[in-house]
Amino acid sequence: MTTTTDAAPAIGPRALTWARRRHAAARFWRQYRGHRAGLAGLAVLTLIALTALAAPLLVGADSLSVTAAPGGPLEEPSAAFPLGTDQFGRSLLALLVWGTRVSLTVGLLAAFLSVAIGTLVGITAGHFKGWYGNVVMRITDWFLVMPTLVLAIALATVLSRSLWTTVLAIGVTTWPTTARLVRAQTLSVESRPYIERSKALGGGHRHIMSRHVLPNVMPLVLAQTTLVISTAILTEATLAFLGLGDPTVVSWGGLLQDAREAGAVSSGNWWYLAPPGLAIAVVALAFTLCGRTIETVLNPKLGGSR
Amino acid sequence: MVTRFPPRSSRPRGRLRILLASGAAALALAAGSVVPGNPLASAPQEAQAADGKSTLTVAVAQSVDSLSPFLAQRLLSTSIHRLMYDYLTNYDAKDSHTVPGLATEWETSADKLTWTYTIRSDSKWSDGEKATAEDAAWTFNTMMTDEGAATSNGSFVSNFKKVTAPSPDKLVIELKRPQATMTALDVPIVPKHVWEKVGDFSKFNNDTKFPIVGNGPFILTDYKVDSYVKLKANKDFWRGAPKFDELVFRYYKDQDAAVAALRKGEVSFVAGSPSLTPAQAASLKTADNIKVNDAPGRRFYALAANPGAQTKDGKKFGDGHPALLDQKVRRALFMAVDRTTIIDKVFQGYAVEGEGYIPPRYGSYFWKPAAGQKLAHDPAKAAALLDEAGYRKNSAGKRTGKDGRPLDFRILCHATDPNDKAIGKYLQEWWGDLGIGLEVDCRDNVSDPWYAGEYDLAFDGWSVNPDPDFVMSIHTCAALPAKPKETAQTDNFICDKQYDELYAKQLAEYDPAKRADLVKQMESRLYDTGYMNVMAYPNAVEAYRTDHIESITTMPSDAGNIYGQDGYWSWWSAVPAAGASGGSSGDSGSSTGVLIGAGVAVVVLAGGGLLFAMRRRSTAEDRE
Amino acid sequence: MSTESTPALLKGAAGVDGVRTDGPAPAGPSVRGPRARSTTAYLRYAAGKLAGAAVSLFAVLVTSFFLFRLIPGDPVKQMTGGRQVSTEQIAAMRKEFGLDLPLWQQFTEYCGKALTGDFGTSYQFRAPVMDKITEALPATLLLTGTAFVIYTAIGIWLGARSAWRNGSAGDRFHTAFALTLYSVPSFWLGLLLIITLSVGIGPVPGMFPTGGMESGSGSGFAHVLDVAHHLVLPVVTLVAVEYARTLLVMRSSLLDEMGSDYLTTARAKGLRDDLVRRRHAVPNAMLPTVTLLFVNLGNTVAGAILVETVFSWPGLGGLFYQALSVPDLPLVQALFFVFAAAVILMNTLADVIYPLLDPRVGR
Repeated sequence: MTTTTDAAPAIGPRALTWARRRHAAARFWRQYRGHRAGLAGLAVLTLIALTALAAPLLVGADSLSVTAAPGGPLEEPSAAFPLGTDQFGRSLLALLVWGTRVSLTVGLLAAFLSVAIGTLVGITAGHFKGWYGNVVMRITDWFLVMPTLVLAIALATVLSRSLWTTVLAIGVTTWPTTARLVRAQTLSVESRPYIERSKALGGGHRHIMSRHVLPNVMPLVLAQTTLVISTAILTEATLAFLGLGDPTVVSWGGLLQDAREAGAVSSGNWWYLAPPGLAIAVVALAFTLCGRTIETVLNPKLGGSR
Repeated sequence: MVTRFPPRSSRPRGRLRILLASGAAALALAAGSVVPGNPLASAPQEAQAADGKSTLTVAVAQSVDSLSPFLAQRLLSTSIHRLMYDYLTNYDAKDSHTVPGLATEWETSADKLTWTYTIRSDSKWSDGEKATAEDAAWTFNTMMTDEGAATSNGSFVSNFKKVTAPSPDKLVIELKRPQATMTALDVPIVPKHVWEKVGDFSKFNNDTKFPIVGNGPFILTDYKVDSYVKLKANKDFWRGAPKFDELVFRYYKDQDAAVAALRKGEVSFVAGSPSLTPAQAASLKTADNIKVNDAPGRRFYALAANPGAQTKDGKKFGDGHPALLDQKVRRALFMAVDRTTIIDKVFQGYAVEGEGYIPPRYGSYFWKPAAGQKLAHDPAKAAALLDEAGYRKNSAGKRTGKDGRPLDFRILCHATDPNDKAIGKYLQEWWGDLGIGLEVDCRDNVSDPWYAGEYDLAFDGWSVNPDPDFVMSIHTCAALPAKPKETAQTDNFICDKQYDELYAKQLAEYDPAKRADLVKQMESRLYDTGYMNVMAYPNAVEAYRTDHIESITTMPSDAGNIYGQDGYWSWWSAVPAAGASGGSSGDSGSSTGVLIGAGVAVVVLAGGGLLFAMRRRSTAEDRE
Repeated sequence: MSTESTPALLKGAAGVDGVRTDGPAPAGPSVRGPRARSTTAYLRYAAGKLAGAAVSLFAVLVTSFFLFRLIPGDPVKQMTGGRQVSTEQIAAMRKEFGLDLPLWQQFTEYCGKALTGDFGTSYQFRAPVMDKITEALPATLLLTGTAFVIYTAIGIWLGARSAWRNGSAGDRFHTAFALTLYSVPSFWLGLLLIITLSVGIGPVPGMFPTGGMESGSGSGFAHVLDVAHHLVLPVVTLVAVEYARTLLVMRSSLLDEMGSDYLTTARAKGLRDDLVRRRHAVPNAMLPTVTLLFVNLGNTVAGAILVETVFSWPGLGGLFYQALSVPDLPLVQALFFVFAAAVILMNTLADVIYPLLDPRVGR
């Protein structure tokens, strides 16, 4: 029996859906609020995001200039330069703030790419079971056994050095975990009765996957995204440190590599080495905490106070 | 359904446990920091080795690629071969002029095509056999006939027609064309009686039997891949035995680790790759018992412009920017480069401003442009030149050509060279002020785009030998590739008739003064054409411990480098400091190891005991 | 640093191939499961897993060959750039390395030789690739093996303790601390350790060597202690960033177990708290952890690349990075294959051993 929704009744189905979603979001937020770790992570992330966005206002683009560098090379922290200077005389605090943009952007883009591929593969593999599903899962399994760092290094070497290469290398090597999870979740969702009903009502593949499976899978995907961002930021730093990142942009991993090349380790210039790594750790940790909290809220069976 | 077990009833027990645990940890830390700390922290390792041998340990950042002088390509390997095998001639430590090596004297025939060397009679191989002209002839002939054996040094023999040894002390080499570089044959002479047994030269790495038979100042006794190379002094060396008994090259992948090892006395010398960074040098200068050797270097560091890649037949390929074919543009670009800033900010004083092609330490060949010829730093004049050439600034401030195409260049940079990256940043800003865009393309592998001609500008640099023939030859038309995109001798596809004529003349000129003059004319021509602009001559910055090494000869002896010399002077002449064995002998390492091992064992036992005690107590109290 | 996601999700990922059920389903490797626990059924299952591993290995071989051919660069040009070489020498080198053959021919030759264990000759070292790998393998095994044992022990012990004292200050501290260390880049931690404990900063003296695996020629016991001395900092770095994963998995699987009825029974029977934990809960909770351990070991080998680079440890990781820059194709391909093979081997081992450990699988 189909119902037509032309002359809208008092509250249309669309409005109902949105209201339901608003309630769900509010409930989610209430539960999330109860976890201190998650709140801490969220606070840190907001702060970092604001810093990244406000970087041009905070420190100005000319703090990146080498010809107009204000200080001497590798100066110790002082009132003028709270984190000292790099080998060109630029303020390290300014570089750290600027690096936020690149590190966050690459982390976010790479994570989105990874999760997008994983979700697409996972949903289609779970939906079209047959030979397609098998082949896809074989490929996913094969990717899972690839050591991700080795593969990322190999890819970054093969392609030219740019931010997009880093994004691609990370995205292409980390999607399998998401794919597996999404596939398992898809199978679970599709075994529910209302899917059967939807099929009986004539719902095609696209309809079922986008209207039914995807919204149910989204919470899991969301949790997974935040965790993958954490991994992506660490991998970006690793690739930059190994010299495979874009040397013309300022990123935290790049700062660590510059420090090493300038001989900071043996000269004891700890102010060049400690802050970028600390920043990476803090952001990665914040995303991890948020991710774990989202997981707990969405899946209370994951047990205990996490 | 989740049954929560009653929380541990005894809070006090938990607190006590924490107290005990932290106490154990503190003890462990104390043990770890106090006991092994002292022998290591206070004084660097100076303990005499058990047998009183003096050892010079050198930290290197390369690993040996092959111990066979026919295959080795790396600087470390060739340096080691200089120590193991004698060459026909050597270079004087003072001013790099040719001095006798295995050959005591040499003369040329009237037609300049036959060279006769007299081989000394007091050079012995380390297995007792005498070194004769037969060995030298055999070495050259092998390189001329066997493809595998020609891998490293085949270019030296490409002009040889016939090599014979008519008597044990006479070596005769017949050439196809006159060659002035016959007093600079950097080819290790190997013992025929050992090497004639080798089957496949392309696979034999000379690492099967130790000690390796040689007649140089040192004998190679031990080798561990990617770890170390050990040599012992050759007491029978004809020039005199080295003062150090043992010489060890230890591989440190990380430059910082090598510098830290120097501070702690684990090594006696750090070379840097290619030199220590300014930060490392600055911090080492303030350290006790360490001397930093900041000396004129052998390298030049230049900005290369693509003259349009072409083959020997004149076929053009690649995609170099056409604007660079205009001399005014090249001059403008170079005049906008503030070399003083580069010396001050990037090299931080550890370099000298560039002039001619050959670095100043090779006094006889060094050339400086006259005041009128020189391209001094002058951004205003550079802007004027660009206007003259027809590249005016548009409304957005970018210079465009008559076809409207903006001036945007790419520059090839070595991803592993921090100087390239640093200077690239400065160039972007200086040329940006001129209205020119620059894309810094940093790669691990620059050879490919270079040989394909797919670049506009590039950072270029070579180490120059006492005989400059090689670095001059790479800019001749003969060095161009036979087919497009093939590897070739050419460095920057430069092909200039005037330059080539001068090159041919200097190669046939056996009079040193006349030859030097010809080379200077070549440098002047190179400067004027402006495809190879030298920005700086980086210094060689090295450091060594004065409590291990009393004195050591640099090259040039007034002020020069120690590692990577054109000769064995440094290691051969090094005198051990009184009362030092130099470098780690393993003994101090092991005593610290014992202490640490003991410390760890104590901690583990204490921890285990504590845990055991806790467990017993908990179960007792928990008994129902 | 390995780039896997955190444990709870990995548990699901390493989990069931079929429907993700609610409730205390045993988490384990993908197991269709022999219906009856008979030896032949198990052998058939194991054989199937091994065959799958062989297929994966071949796929890796193919990938390694083609992937690295994509690296821009003619290794001959890269190796001879910057030196005096004549065109004839260059041509000779190409022939020596077989680079003048068409791609398909190179590939079939490569596969054929690989089956006999001959991975070719390294371009830069001129020695058989297998020799270079077997030279570097013990160093990597020593480093990762030691780290593996330590971080597994710590992870399991602390994970069990945290789960048992769920919600306490100790639990929260351990979880937070582990998560923090897990987020730290391993190379950065290594560099900081070098600065503080190796070079020495301020009043702290430099106690440990700055790099390498050994300092000298001492033999016997002295040599062993020397290597151990060099091993401390790299192992500490690896353990710090890796133990968190084991801890978190152990903790969550034990928390799952703690909700089981049989534990209530055990306690009601009068068993000590301690014994309940040690003899019943933990062994059962260990099962998913065991799977994870195998997977971890495979990944740790590859993740040790960073630590080896920072500490100049002469192992496979350092060799890999060195080889990439040339590009030393035979060596890079072989190393890639070795890394992937390690992971495949460990996963297969986990798959094959798991049914032996968990009698519930296959029910």
